Amino acid sequence: MDRAVLGPVLAEVGNGVTSPFFKRCAALSIVSLFACGPVLLFVGGAQAAYKPTPYQTTRKNAGTPNSTMVKKNSDGVIIAYGNSSITYRAPSAALVTLGEALFQQNCASCHGTQANGVPANGTAGAFPDLVGLGPATINFWVDSGRMPAANPRSIEANRRVPRLTHDQALAVSAWVDSLSPGFPLIPYPHLKNANVADGAALFALNCASCHTIEGDGDALAMSTFSPSLRKIPSIEVAEAIRTGPGNMPRFTGNLSDTQVDDIVKFVTTEIQHPNNPGGFGLGGLGPVAEGFVGLAFGVGVLALVGFWVGERDD
Amino acid sequence: MTDEHRTPVSLTGLPANDPHLLPAARNPELVERVISVCFILGALCLAGFGACYWIDAQPWKLGATLGGGLLFLGIGIVAWGKYLMPRGPFVEERHTLANSDADRQAFAAAIVERGGGVVQRRKLLGGLLGGGMGIFGIVVMFPLLRSLGPLPKTTLQHTDWRSGSYVVDQTGRRVEVGDLAVGSIETVFPEGKENSDRGQAVDQTVLIRVSNEAFTTMKGRETWAPHGYVAYSKVCTHLGCPVGLYEQELQLLVCPCHQSMFNVTNGAVPQFGPAPRPLPQLPLYVDSSGFLRSQSDYHEAVGPGFWERS
Amino acid sequence: MSDVINTQRSKKQALGRYGRIGQSLDELDDRLGVARGGRTFMDKIFPDHWSFMLGEIALYSFLILLVTGVFLTLYFIPSSALVVYHGSYAPLDGQKMTQAFASTVNLSFAVRGGLLMRQMHHWACDIFVGAIVIHMARVFFTGAFRKPRELNWIIGSTLLILAILNGFLGYSLPDDLVSGTGIRIAYSIILSIPLVGSYLAFWVFGGNFPGTSIIPRFFILHCLIMPLIIIGLVGAHLFLLVRQKHTQFPGNGRTEKNVVGSPMFPVFMAKTTGFLFIVGGITALLGAFAQVNPIWQFGPYDAARISYAVQPDWYMGFLDGALRIWPSWSFHSWGHTIPFEVLIPAVVLPGLIFNFVFVWPMIERKFTKDNAIHNLLDRPSNVPVRTAVGVTMLSFLGMLFIASSTDVLAKFFNLSLNTVLVAMRYLTVIVPILAFPITYRICHEIQALHGGGRRKTPNVVTRSSEGEYSATPSPRYVDDVPSHLEATPVPTFIHEEPEESGDSGVRVVDR
Repeated sequence: MDRAVLGPVLAEVGNGVTSPFFKRCAALSIVSLFACGPVLLFVGGAQAAYKPTPYQTTRKNAGTPNSTMVKKNSDGVIIAYGNSSITYRAPSAALVTLGEALFQQNCASCHGTQANGVPANGTAGAFPDLVGLGPATINFWVDSGRMPAANPRSIEANRRVPRLTHDQALAVSAWVDSLSPGFPLIPYPHLKNANVADGAALFALNCASCHTIEGDGDALAMSTFSPSLRKIPSIEVAEAIRTGPGNMPRFTGNLSDTQVDDIVKFVTTEIQHPNNPGGFGLGGLGPVAEGFVGLAFGVGVLALVGFWVGERDD
Repeated sequence: MTDEHRTPVSLTGLPANDPHLLPAARNPELVERVISVCFILGALCLAGFGACYWIDAQPWKLGATLGGGLLFLGIGIVAWGKYLMPRGPFVEERHTLANSDADRQAFAAAIVERGGGVVQRRKLLGGLLGGGMGIFGIVVMFPLLRSLGPLPKTTLQHTDWRSGSYVVDQTGRRVEVGDLAVGSIETVFPEGKENSDRGQAVDQTVLIRVSNEAFTTMKGRETWAPHGYVAYSKVCTHLGCPVGLYEQELQLLVCPCHQSMFNVTNGAVPQFGPAPRPLPQLPLYVDSSGFLRSQSDYHEAVGPGFWERS
Repeated sequence: MSDVINTQRSKKQALGRYGRIGQSLDELDDRLGVARGGRTFMDKIFPDHWSFMLGEIALYSFLILLVTGVFLTLYFIPSSALVVYHGSYAPLDGQKMTQAFASTVNLSFAVRGGLLMRQMHHWACDIFVGAIVIHMARVFFTGAFRKPRELNWIIGSTLLILAILNGFLGYSLPDDLVSGTGIRIAYSIILSIPLVGSYLAFWVFGGNFPGTSIIPRFFILHCLIMPLIIIGLVGAHLFLLVRQKHTQFPGNGRTEKNVVGSPMFPVFMAKTTGFLFIVGGITALLGAFAQVNPIWQFGPYDAARISYAVQPDWYMGFLDGALRIWPSWSFHSWGHTIPFEVLIPAVVLPGLIFNFVFVWPMIERKFTKDNAIHNLLDRPSNVPVRTAVGVTMLSFLGMLFIASSTDVLAKFFNLSLNTVLVAMRYLTVIVPILAFPITYRICHEIQALHGGGRRKTPNVVTRSSEGEYSATPSPRYVDDVPSHLEATPVPTFIHEEPEESGDSGVRVVDR
């Protein structure tokens, strides 16, 4: 329900606050430029507003979105948040024809030939309207294999082996986007300079409450669940954060591109390649798994040893 | 191999060729060789532990050598005791713990008559001492209890949100009305408190955008959620865990600790799970610059229940 | 000059029958008078049934806790002061955290052998509490808590509570995200106590949550006060065991008035020392190959952060499970709140359970009207009521323990979380109620079985000429002749009067 209105909403919001907002931002940037001079050109952005907190690093790179850092297009719609840690690109227009063919083959039976959804027997929203959702949304669902859905009536589409390849998924998103261009575009994070410690702190605050701090995912309310993050490519992580698929909330203006980049680096390095110096990770299930191992292999084995040490009687 | 069919004998006065003194093993020489191998392996493993420590090897190597060494030595020692030492079984008498009646009488007499006599004779002293000890028992608790911490007074009833507090995220940046899209969630604090312990623990609030227009969660709260921004206390009313888990299609805030589920659209009323009360909602407004600010503090105490919570 | 000892033989003779060792023991006895007591102690007989080894698992894992714990106290800094971490673990590099957390990360990555010690300490604690539980179960099901051992039962139950509490304090010390959440929950539980809750919470924590006092206080409790109490109680526990002598199962030659088994020196000492090494070895192997409590992955505690799938360590699981499944009953009137949804599962329930455990010997005495001294153990199947009560209690605690992992169960079995939780609410009541009659029935069935629970001996099957088959039990080994089948013959070369002893099978040969 919400995904369908992302583009227009942003447009509306942008329109609603352009005038006094923009003037204020312009005034602020002029004043701060004069006040801080060339220093600002080096450190980039309105760093004067940034105060490090005890629970985040002191590295001055958070680049949190404020009015000077957000990039807007001519309609005033936000197209990038913060500095250029992530490049947003629309899929190539050359893929549109292929995308249409693939869509009619794989998706139209549920989403309709014009991708505007088919209400199915009173379950409005079961086969949602895809027009205007933005290429990142479409690409996420198809590339991760969740779509075409194995069970269209289930409360949550499971990730599975994708039916379409990466390029085919891009093609589908290109065609849907061509119907009514939307945002966000496909994010390509630049991980080389991302800060994994910032990513860890942001992950702990924003992501661990659903995906667990180890990134293994778990069962949530009703029959929903948060998926494991152990095998996800970096583009998908960024797409999921920006588009908020399904029950996952979306993180738009509350996380800058740098922050999302940091989280992606943290997920693709530490979560997906954990350093387990203590031995087997026991599935990352925490104390539950530890309890079983301790009782079975610790107490159990020792009790068996005691069976050998002691005597039996009849 | 079992000994239970042999008659138990006492340890004292056994002849040297008594079958109870023989080893339990059928083939003691073979067992002895096996135990020697165990000891040699154990010693090698422990030497390996020393070597691993010297070269700063990985923890699993340290543990494997230490564990293996101890295990081999232990198995050898147990096998020695079980298979090579006198197999028994041996027996000894239990002496009754209770003493004779005469001893018991004398014991009771010493306490009752001697002690009782003393107290009877000096009743006043006994009473005064009792009173003094009683007072001592009470006052000795004072430094232990009172010095440990301050009185709660009303600290539990209020947070640091005030009328006009700016809503800031964890980096201290003020939240503007254009920041979140519908379906977004953010953890926010009153400005100035995002660094502090108390801010983290008590003031923490989740900000969710549920729509683009003003949203009413309950009667009387029509102005509380401007532009669709609802703010609830992040401290669960069950046991205080941060309720950070938002499912935007189900519109539920789920507490990760014991899975209480709060309905975001009707004032965070618990739909399931052990939480007894809705999460308090923070009344917001948007100021002329577009920043989100709180109208006042929460209208009730946040977090888990306690006696003084009215 | 004739007194000078100048030959090898006379030197040897002068030393006495037992050589230098004998001389040293003489010197010791001159000063301490230990000869007779020492001999008695070394002759002490220990019954060596395998189920008596379970308490030793607990004792030796406690020793390992002490040794590894001392190592850890040398490096751990119990302070809530904030520091910036700069070390080898990249995801934490530059993050601000408490010194407690930073020193634990340092211990894990920068101290040689530190991670091994940390993991051995944690595994030893899991094993310690587990061993106490199965040891306690053995004592309960065999009736070893009866007179004269009720005091030992009470000491042991207290040790269980202290072990669980100390474990909680211990894993909360690093101040990581997972254990910090546990501390928050503990704070709220204290808060929930009517009338005095807020005062108690502020006194324990030195103010509002989280404050800066709680980690140092936990440290002193965990490393000084509680171990002292535990060591004292363990000492009393063992002293009573030695003084009252261990119980034994009835069997060949065993009566209420004797103890049959192996002598303390050398057999029992060898077995028990070997067992100590084996417990140490298994703990070290677990510490090497199974990662436990990887606090660097959890990150430092922050009151606004939370992870999903946080459970306490297994021995606190029954509390967590009770808190999850309890319905949201809360009393809220007349300006006061009593949060029963917290009070009952976290305060009242464990109080009831442990009180029941403490007074069980008295309850049993009242119902069986049995005030005699018991040194022989019961076979659990011979006391169906007690066994059924024990199984019921264990299954109730087991269900609560399983209830603490509802989310993991829902994930594993692909069920709705809500369904799992509602199911656990019903199962926690139904399973123990069903367990009682089922156990009772099984006990009676075992009793009715001929030779039930006993090892089978081989039978010699003979066929008479008429074709009739008959089976007689055949002993396995030549000297394994059951004594009750035939009288023990007195060797003819020893002239003595046969002892008028009522105890069969005990032959005391006088020297």
